[in-house]
Amino acid sequence: MTVAIFDHNEKNLLLQHSVTALLHLAQRRGACLHKLLHGTQIFEQDLSRPDSRCHHRDWLTLLGRCQQLASPELPFILADALLHNPALALSQSLPKAPHLAGCLRQLWYFRHQMLPGVFTLVQHTEQYRVLLLKPALQLGPQQGFILNLAMALLVQLIQHHTGRGNNLRVQLKQAAPSHPAQISSYWPCPVSFGQPVDALYIPHELWFQPWPEHHAGEFRAYRRACYQLNRRLPRQRGLFEILQRQLYRTMPATLSLEQAASLLGCSSSSVKRLLQQQGSSYAALADDLRCDLATLLLCQGKLSNKQLASQLGYSDEHNFRRAFKRWTGNVPSSLRLPVS
Amino acid sequence: MWQQHLDKLTLAAVLLLAALLLALQLGDVKSWAAIDWLDILGEGIVLAVALSWLTLNLLNRPAGRVTDWLYYGSLLLSCSFALDLLDEFLRYPAHVRTMSWLESVPAPLGMLALTYGLMGWHQEQRQINRQLRGRERFLRDHRLLDPLTQLYGLDYLYAVLNRELALHQQQRLPLSILMLDIDQFAAFNRQHGTAAGDNYLISLAELLSSQMRESDVICRYAGDRFVAVLVHTEQAAAEIIALHLQQQLQRLTAAGQTLHCSVACIQATQTQATAVLKQAELALRASKLRGARPVYQPGHGNL
Repeated sequence: MTVAIFDHNEKNLLLQHSVTALLHLAQRRGACLHKLLHGTQIFEQDLSRPDSRCHHRDWLTLLGRCQQLASPELPFILADALLHNPALALSQSLPKAPHLAGCLRQLWYFRHQMLPGVFTLVQHTEQYRVLLLKPALQLGPQQGFILNLAMALLVQLIQHHTGRGNNLRVQLKQAAPSHPAQISSYWPCPVSFGQPVDALYIPHELWFQPWPEHHAGEFRAYRRACYQLNRRLPRQRGLFEILQRQLYRTMPATLSLEQAASLLGCSSSSVKRLLQQQGSSYAALADDLRCDLATLLLCQGKLSNKQLASQLGYSDEHNFRRAFKRWTGNVPSSLRLPVS
Repeated sequence: MWQQHLDKLTLAAVLLLAALLLALQLGDVKSWAAIDWLDILGEGIVLAVALSWLTLNLLNRPAGRVTDWLYYGSLLLSCSFALDLLDEFLRYPAHVRTMSWLESVPAPLGMLALTYGLMGWHQEQRQINRQLRGRERFLRDHRLLDPLTQLYGLDYLYAVLNRELALHQQQRLPLSILMLDIDQFAAFNRQHGTAAGDNYLISLAELLSSQMRESDVICRYAGDRFVAVLVHTEQAAAEIIALHLQQQLQRLTAAGQTLHCSVACIQATQTQATAVLKQAELALRASKLRGARPVYQPGHGNL
């Protein structure tokens, strides 16, 4: 295993990368610094040091406190601050990428330096490449906020560099806000709330459209800086992410818990225990993944239940149909219409 | 208030009169020397207090369950005390027990009824306090304030606008909406950082509050968009205010630049806040198109 697993107790976030930006935003919105930091292991003097870090748990605590500020713009402004953070070589490198594909590859590879709590799976459809955003570990009540943040970050990036953000499509799991007018100006594209998946639909033609600010030399220089940072901040992935990516890779065959554990280099009982600590289980993760994929495939409206069943590793369509009903409470045909 | 209690007042008067007649019928007047004036003073005061409870209750409270209990309680007490006072003047024959019964039985019953009524009053007041608190929250809740600009947010805007629209429609007065949007704010944020953007929003909110009239309600509509509800204002007057605002905004600089803002105003014709705001958004888009500014060029300072 080249990539280490991290959990909530890992000190894997540099304060300068995201935490200070969040704290500044919250303070300008009337939050009190010592109340925000109360109970966390972040101290005020750490904030000015360039290499101090915090636990992933503290990041979630801070996000939870900032969510209570009644400022619906916060995830969007925070995404803006992350994308233009001068202390973060990764975000400096992104505008210099040759095209969207190069930019997203860079963001994907170094994502632990910006948002370690989120990972993506890519699906292809006729018109779109679909990025499925998923939590890399248990994010608790902050999951909606973090996925909204990641989605806003991607959409802003694409809108700014291609100018064609209106061609995107966004699906979010979170419930529709009470006043859509408050945030509608932040989404250049149609957004549907209360969906079964968090997904970003990017049209194929945007992927290799050259970017105006592309600069090969600077891009390389920034990438070198990112690699150097990797020495201090090694690549780590959340447990959910590692397991779900393994499951995704072996689909349609089903990867048993024992096989997954041996891939991670530990016993199945310790994987079970680690998952239990995060309030989840191996079967739940597998179901979650299959449910998301089934939803995406159904929305394309091309495949029959039989084909879906074989793609997702079910023995026949009846089993698939029954499982789908268990996940969503609906029969597969209810989703088969193209999403409006 | 007392008009709705006429029947209760009449009943009280009739009862007291009946008690007086009954007492006069049964007893005969004492001789002057046998009257104890000190007793009369004490019992007179007690009767006066009971009667004042009765009248205060009926003067101040609307009809209802709690009022009834308080009324019957104080009525029974008054009757009992009135008979008590009367027997200082009259002597009843020893074999008639009616008067002594009538004197002593209603007093404790009245006390009980009064206490029960007071308990009801306590509960009623708690409910009213809760209701009042709810109404206050609706009108002045700090949680409806936008934490950054300290202006009211969308919840408040919808509530106020719906109420004002209904009121203005009723009185046939004009109501205008002014919508202001910062042009190229996302680009400004990108170039100068979110801190500069936030500071600009704060100073813009301060400028709006100082330059608009006292009666205008200013709210933060979305990230870089503000709405003012101009009460008793016609379109022409609103446009003068908008022009004045545009001039004042020229003085507002952020990071060495003056940002351009688009302003649109409309006179409300619909009755729903959402419809009116949609109309204002359309007007704003039209005014943006009319005064299409050059595209933001970082570093040129042409905004």
